[in-house]
Amino acid sequence: MRPRTPFRNGIDAQELLFGLFLVALSGVAFWQTSRLAAGTAADMGPGFVPRVIAWTILGFGAFFVLRAGILPRRALPAISLRPLVAVLGAVATFALVLPALGLVAASLAAILIGGAAAPGGRLLGTLLFAAVLTALTVLLFVTALSLPVAIWPW
Amino acid sequence: MELLGNLAFGLATAMQPSNLMFCFTGALIGTLVGVLPGLGPMTTVALLLPFTFGLTPEAALIMLAGIFYGAQYGGSTTAILVNMPGETSSVVTCLDGYQLARKGRAGPALAMAAIASFFAGTVATLVIALLSGPMAALALKFTAAEYFSLLIVGLIAAVVLAHGSAVKAVAMIVIGVLLGLVGIDVNSGVPRMTFGLPELADGIGFVPVVMGLFGLAEIASNLEKPQDRTLLTQKITGLMPTGRDLRQGFPAMLRGTVLGSLLGVLPGGGAALPPFAAYALEKRVARDPSRFGKGAIEGVAGPEAANNAGAQTSFIPMLTLGIPSNPLMALMIGALMIQGIQPGPQIMTEQPALFWGVVASMWTGNLMLLVINLPLIGLWVSMLKIPYRMLFPAIILFCCIGAYSVNNSVFDIWVMLGSALIGYFFIKVGVEPAPLVLGFVLGPMLEENFRRAMMIADGDLAVFVTRPISAALLAVAVALLVALVSPSLRRKREVAFAE
Repeated sequence: MRPRTPFRNGIDAQELLFGLFLVALSGVAFWQTSRLAAGTAADMGPGFVPRVIAWTILGFGAFFVLRAGILPRRALPAISLRPLVAVLGAVATFALVLPALGLVAASLAAILIGGAAAPGGRLLGTLLFAAVLTALTVLLFVTALSLPVAIWPW
Repeated sequence: MELLGNLAFGLATAMQPSNLMFCFTGALIGTLVGVLPGLGPMTTVALLLPFTFGLTPEAALIMLAGIFYGAQYGGSTTAILVNMPGETSSVVTCLDGYQLARKGRAGPALAMAAIASFFAGTVATLVIALLSGPMAALALKFTAAEYFSLLIVGLIAAVVLAHGSAVKAVAMIVIGVLLGLVGIDVNSGVPRMTFGLPELADGIGFVPVVMGLFGLAEIASNLEKPQDRTLLTQKITGLMPTGRDLRQGFPAMLRGTVLGSLLGVLPGGGAALPPFAAYALEKRVARDPSRFGKGAIEGVAGPEAANNAGAQTSFIPMLTLGIPSNPLMALMIGALMIQGIQPGPQIMTEQPALFWGVVASMWTGNLMLLVINLPLIGLWVSMLKIPYRMLFPAIILFCCIGAYSVNNSVFDIWVMLGSALIGYFFIKVGVEPAPLVLGFVLGPMLEENFRRAMMIADGDLAVFVTRPISAALLAVAVALLVALVSPSLRRKREVAFAE
């Protein structure tokens, strides 16, 4: 491979984003450990190792950001929002509904919202599937495995 | 003869009706979930982890081990029948297994895979029993400095032998270490990197992180691809391999077992390496290498044996040193810790029933796999027909309940959500999330041993090179790193993984 001029040929988006992620992560680590005592090498405080790790992560981040400029141009793979939003939405809904309305409502909501990640499917079939899966879930986790969780809102 | 006594003692534990049942249940559920499309052993074990919380440590580990090889075996079934490897370890089985299936010889291919797995599993169980004693005895002599160096070797070896970019893998390990350090520092009692959240005082939950990174992130990314699977529609007739199959397969099985047992013990060698190496070996020793890729039975028997032998001997570092050799073993260590057991060389002496029971259960588990798989093959085929659109909502729901059930805390569900988002990001920027799990589990151990070694040595880094065992271990680590950057080896490694 002949040497390339940095950033002349466009950038490798994957490398750049991963590098930036690492830089940001090290920033969070530095911020969160700023009040911790580092101590000395012979008698390390709680902040010593985390800060060493944070510096390492910063180093890796810088490496990937720089390498992104040298490597040939590469775009990010396409992102389709529908599955991502549906999956995360289902989980968030479950977490919000479970303490308030119990397992049955939370399960139904998670299945219906999560199911929306894939297009198609008839409404009646989806509802029936959600009901059956919820019933099985309650039987398995609450009846058989005695998970301590409210089943109904009341 | 101590070996036989220990194995008999272990068998007595493993053959207890309740443990036998957990072993069976584990192998059955593992196969069941492993056969399902889009679920590799890692996700399967993580998903089923909550089912073991209420059990005794022996029963929990026996069941998890059963789930593990059940899932791995399920991956081979899908590899042969639908050309879809459950994970990297069964990629090789696809090559010849699927070709055999296309020729209408799916039955013998499956049977050969099962026989090879069982044979390799039996041998590997003996290898574990033989090697664990000396390994644990050696490990008990280790001080913090040796342990630290050993952890470093393990992590670096895991990177060298894994596939994908090595620099990125190291970066992922370091991220994992950082995440592992979150929580109250055991030495000073100060909360670290907890954002002031009391829920993070005990650290970030292991199960929600794994479920988010592997289970949920994969669903989101799988659903972006069009769902097409070509299922072999012809019926599977006749499981029995012919005499010729056996003649060709048996030596391959022996070679695969030896190779797999050796490679499995190496740190990082557990999953991907043994089957690849075995396939390459079979191709080299074959009289007519051109048959490979067109349905050679050796191409199934060798890698399958190596796969199973390696999967099992990779338990050795985990059980004797408390060090996981691959991410899946990290998951096992996580399970042990949830049970309140600190993995390490002391397990063998302090909890002999647990140790030998688990070792012996590997053999009973393999026997059960044989019993479960061959007669029930029709059931597994019909499992393959479950459409993904019905499957993934169930997986999402199971992940939610699973994350919640570890501590009965909604907070863990939010941790899983965050991990899923980050896992999706990792997929999009093309990095493997598995090394992160390794770093996550080893992080606290790494820090603890580093701090202790430095305290004893009065802050002098030289302690790691002046103690002979530690120096030797670090030399191995350096050699591995040099090998990794050397261009000729790098090319070989790329070729090996491209095949």
